[in-house]
Amino acid sequence: MTSPQLEVRNLRKSYDDGRIEALRGVSLTIDAGEYVAISGASGSGKSTLLQLLGGLDVPTSGEVLFENAILGTAIHLDEYRAHRIGFIFQAFYLLPTLRAIENVQVPMLALNGNGNNRAARAEALLRELGLEHRLNQYPNELSAGERQRVAIARALANNPSILLADEPTGNLDSVNSARIMEILTGIQKKRGMTLIIVTHENDIANAAPRHVRIRDGKVEA
Amino acid sequence: MRSQLSFAGFAWKNLWRRRLRTLLTLFGIGMAIGAFVALVGFSRSFEHEWQRLYSSSGTDIAVVDKNFMNSSVNQALQGKLRAVPVVAQADPMIFNILDITPDVNAIVFGWLDDSYEFDSLTFSSGGRFHNGKPEIIVGELLAKNLNKKVGDTVELQGGTFTIVGVFHGGTALEVGALIMPIDQLQQISSLQGKVSGFHVRLKPAPAGESPEHYMKRAQKEIEAALPGLNAQGAADRAANNQFVTLAHAVAWGTSCIALLMGILGIANTMAMSVFERTREIGILRAIGWKAWRVLLLIQVEATVLGFVGGILGILIGWGALHLLSTLPQTASVVSASFSPLHFVEALGISLLSGLVAGAYPAWRGAHLSPVEALRHD
Repeated sequence: MTSPQLEVRNLRKSYDDGRIEALRGVSLTIDAGEYVAISGASGSGKSTLLQLLGGLDVPTSGEVLFENAILGTAIHLDEYRAHRIGFIFQAFYLLPTLRAIENVQVPMLALNGNGNNRAARAEALLRELGLEHRLNQYPNELSAGERQRVAIARALANNPSILLADEPTGNLDSVNSARIMEILTGIQKKRGMTLIIVTHENDIANAAPRHVRIRDGKVEA
Repeated sequence: MRSQLSFAGFAWKNLWRRRLRTLLTLFGIGMAIGAFVALVGFSRSFEHEWQRLYSSSGTDIAVVDKNFMNSSVNQALQGKLRAVPVVAQADPMIFNILDITPDVNAIVFGWLDDSYEFDSLTFSSGGRFHNGKPEIIVGELLAKNLNKKVGDTVELQGGTFTIVGVFHGGTALEVGALIMPIDQLQQISSLQGKVSGFHVRLKPAPAGESPEHYMKRAQKEIEAALPGLNAQGAADRAANNQFVTLAHAVAWGTSCIALLMGILGIANTMAMSVFERTREIGILRAIGWKAWRVLLLIQVEATVLGFVGGILGILIGWGALHLLSTLPQTASVVSASFSPLHFVEALGISLLSGLVAGAYPAWRGAHLSPVEALRHD
């Protein structure tokens, strides 16, 4: 039996000196190459769970394991984010002073390497996502759907094994939402990556092979 | 053409997004470095001219009062000084600064009419003055600034003096100076019998004795013969006389204040920049940038501000030095020379200013929690 790629053990996260409990003992496992949707109402703790899975934050108690190694202990969180994780956000979070192709190169700057190779990889990713004609546009010159595609290319820049998407269609119309979901699931299948999507949209959550519901900081049975 | 993003290019784009603020910051640090270049350059140029003043006249030792800034020595000691075996020539001199006109001030020297120091001067018209007579000679620069020639008169401290010679060559201190009989200068400054000091030419060093050892021995012999006076080597006197020391102190003091203002300007810009880009820093951290890399990015931005501001400041300071070397009020004490060492110092200080100014904003940016930063509006 193979061990899970991600394992969450009795994860708790509280804020404001314990007055707010975002997660109250979440445990789950996710295998490599799985596509998991996490849903829940606003304030249920789903985004907090995603942040802890992505090593953006540390739990108050409990632990997250990546390939049996405890995050923050056996694996440095910066290294984990740089090499293993690709983040996609609802608000895209592209850097406004950089062109699309430059935005995709930013994560690669964290790994040094050759400038030519970085630019070539960024261009290849943007071409793969159908943005070959938008390489040199700034974010404010792109449509919302195009911005999210640039953000997906950026998330793939360092060839991570896990894609974490926090409400990736939250700022998009239905046509663009469908297109982005098609792209994300296509990437997941083609590359065999783990895809974890946080969403409050039932259609998206129910379309995932595995659906985890969070309510009041706990996984619903 | 595929657009490549480098670390330095990223830093530059961050700075250039707020063009006006960046330009104002560059101007601020540029003015600070410019003040350093101009003021410290001015004081060094002043020192350099002093050194040339001694070397061009062949003076080996200056004998001056030990304690007072405005050295006042009894002229009658000249005989004792000349009797010291190592002394070849010893002439009294007075050094002062006078307002010749409301717009033109000049260094005024008082010499004997047979002083060996005339050797460094070349007369373009006229010749030497005579002891006991109200006569003066002026450097070409001063003559030009005063619009005077041989035969004209100059009013000094209530007395009328006739220009008997105009000279060129020598140093900026001399070509912008006025030289008169020592007795006349004593009279108008009410310092009869007193001089600023003596300039001494030594006899050649005996065979087998090193110049350094001979100089030290000569200083000791002179000080032994004239207790209470200080026999300083000419180079040492040029570098450490109170006028030069004061000029250095004022220059460095003023420059430090200007540099502090410049550093605060960069620090303010970087702190604002980090605050405005809090979410972007969160994004960088989320996509794998380590804290030290964020710190490096902000430090590079601050250092670029310091460096470019430094280049701007060097140009401003160099221009100011040139201007000072042509103004009648300052031309007599400064030349427009700009040493490579001064250039390196100015650039080093500007880089250091950037590093110091960027330190706290960089530390703050690097230690932001990624989640907190991403939540920032």
